[in-house]
Amino acid sequence: MSLAAILVAVTSFVLGALLALLTIPVLVWMERRIASLIQDRLGPNRTNVFGFRFGGVVQSFADVVKLLLKEEYYPSHIKNGKWLFMLAPVITFAAALLAFMVIPFADTLHIDGEALRVQALPIDFGVFWYLAIGAIGVLGVIFGGWLSHNKYALLGASRAGSMVISYELPLGLSILAFIITYNTVDFNAMVQWQSGTFLAFLPAWGILVQPIASIILIVSLFAETNRNPFTVAEGESEIVAGFMTEHTAMKFAMYFMGEYVAMNTASAVIITVIFGGYQIPWVTTEMMLQNFSVFALVLMISVPIVVGILIKWMRKNNTVRPTVTTDSGRNFETKVLTIALLGMTVLIEVILLYLSFFADSTLANSITVMLFQIIVFVVKLMMFNIFFIIIRWTVPRFRYDQVQHLGWYYLLPLSLLNLFITALVVVGVQ
Amino acid sequence: MNKKITVIPRHGSSFKDKLYLPAIYDGVKVTFKHLFNNVNDINAVDTLEYPEEQPTDISDRYRGLHRLTHRPDDSIACVACFMCATACPSNCIFIEATEREDGHDEKMPKSFFIDTLECVFCGYCVEACPCDAIRMDTGIFSLTGNSREDFVLNKEQLLANKGAFGEENSCARD
Repeated sequence: MSLAAILVAVTSFVLGALLALLTIPVLVWMERRIASLIQDRLGPNRTNVFGFRFGGVVQSFADVVKLLLKEEYYPSHIKNGKWLFMLAPVITFAAALLAFMVIPFADTLHIDGEALRVQALPIDFGVFWYLAIGAIGVLGVIFGGWLSHNKYALLGASRAGSMVISYELPLGLSILAFIITYNTVDFNAMVQWQSGTFLAFLPAWGILVQPIASIILIVSLFAETNRNPFTVAEGESEIVAGFMTEHTAMKFAMYFMGEYVAMNTASAVIITVIFGGYQIPWVTTEMMLQNFSVFALVLMISVPIVVGILIKWMRKNNTVRPTVTTDSGRNFETKVLTIALLGMTVLIEVILLYLSFFADSTLANSITVMLFQIIVFVVKLMMFNIFFIIIRWTVPRFRYDQVQHLGWYYLLPLSLLNLFITALVVVGVQ
Repeated sequence: MNKKITVIPRHGSSFKDKLYLPAIYDGVKVTFKHLFNNVNDINAVDTLEYPEEQPTDISDRYRGLHRLTHRPDDSIACVACFMCATACPSNCIFIEATEREDGHDEKMPKSFFIDTLECVFCGYCVEACPCDAIRMDTGIFSLTGNSREDFVLNKEQLLANKGAFGEENSCARD
């Protein structure tokens, strides 16, 4: 193993851990902010550190501190299986976290003839890993609800069990259709397949090649993450907090964070399998590497435009209302952030200028392309997370027997039919 | 008879309804429109940033914090008849009467307490008062304090509250 291989492995592991863990507070804040904006409210927007609010995202960190300092209450009526009761939230959290680790953040890096995967866990059977580990998450929910010795928790656990039998089969079958289409079980190879074109001009994204399987995949992953419209394991109005009724402080926080990590993982899987992963449509990694100066030029033009729009938006919206007299330091925050953004833009421009005209290093070029792909991946990930959140605040919930009905009467036959047609087409083409 | 019956068509049986997805698309269109407009111009969200922005829609019929009115010569209008304390459904008015020496009436309150933590702000005391001595027209909607005792208002505090609407003095006593 060379130094480069070790460096890339460590970097991608750190990146994977950061993308999974650091997005939790951001997602919690985004959920609250987007929910309020949809409902014409403002949401948490005041917590700040030295006047820096970042739109209120600091609130989530304050919440984490609060949850850490809460009393660790332990229900005394639980006599058997204490260790499993404590372990259950960890299972849910760890399963969602580990499932995220096989998502490729950028294309395979070629350094000195070595192929280095930009993947926290560099394995080439990522789909199986995801299906195996992702399915364990619900065990934490079932154990936690069962061992709480509480009727609401038990009901929540049994509902979670009913959910598993409704969505796991359609999920597996729709992924099988993708495996047949892409002819691989490697997430990275799936993304590479999708960077081509389809029907001469469309990008070969899974959603266009396999529309039915894509919809089934999205629906089943909504069910797997336990989010609306499939929140059946917990229901304020019927079974209190469901499986986590007896869990307090950090045990509750583990379940809570696990839900957001699971949402993040589901978004990552969806964009990797059906939305072209880290690629932008029509452009493959080879094209970017071969025409690096064109790629750099396009970036050099588009980065200032994006930053300009961002600064304009910030200057308009990072203000207090006209009727409020106190400024609360928002002008200062806007000023500092504007300078930081402009400085970053200048730095990016200088580096790109140097790389495209003065340096002629393939390594530097491929690292630039890798960074660009990581940014594309993160942007797509956040867009799909926002989609998850919008759906949650749009659609009412399904009853748990309706979920089973949907899974067994509609999704399962559809996915079987789709699998059959896919197999016929693939065999016919070959 | 038949004219009064309106038949409301049942939804949910057509193929489009059973697909769910068109309905979800319509719903997302509505929520996304709200989200987009509000992100675009966050100060247009129709809310009140409360401590900095105060409500402007408090009308003269608003039942705010109580006050005790004065006579034209600035003495207390109350005659300690106990009507308000009797009418009070939450028993939060405590009056102790004493003899009045300044020649206006026979009685006046020695002490007059309102426990605002018990008060339900129904306004029955104002209706019951024969002397127009207690009013709820201060327009004050928030009362803060550090202990429970801070919320028990005494006679001096109630007399110090100013009316925001209408007459300053009692209309029934001179």
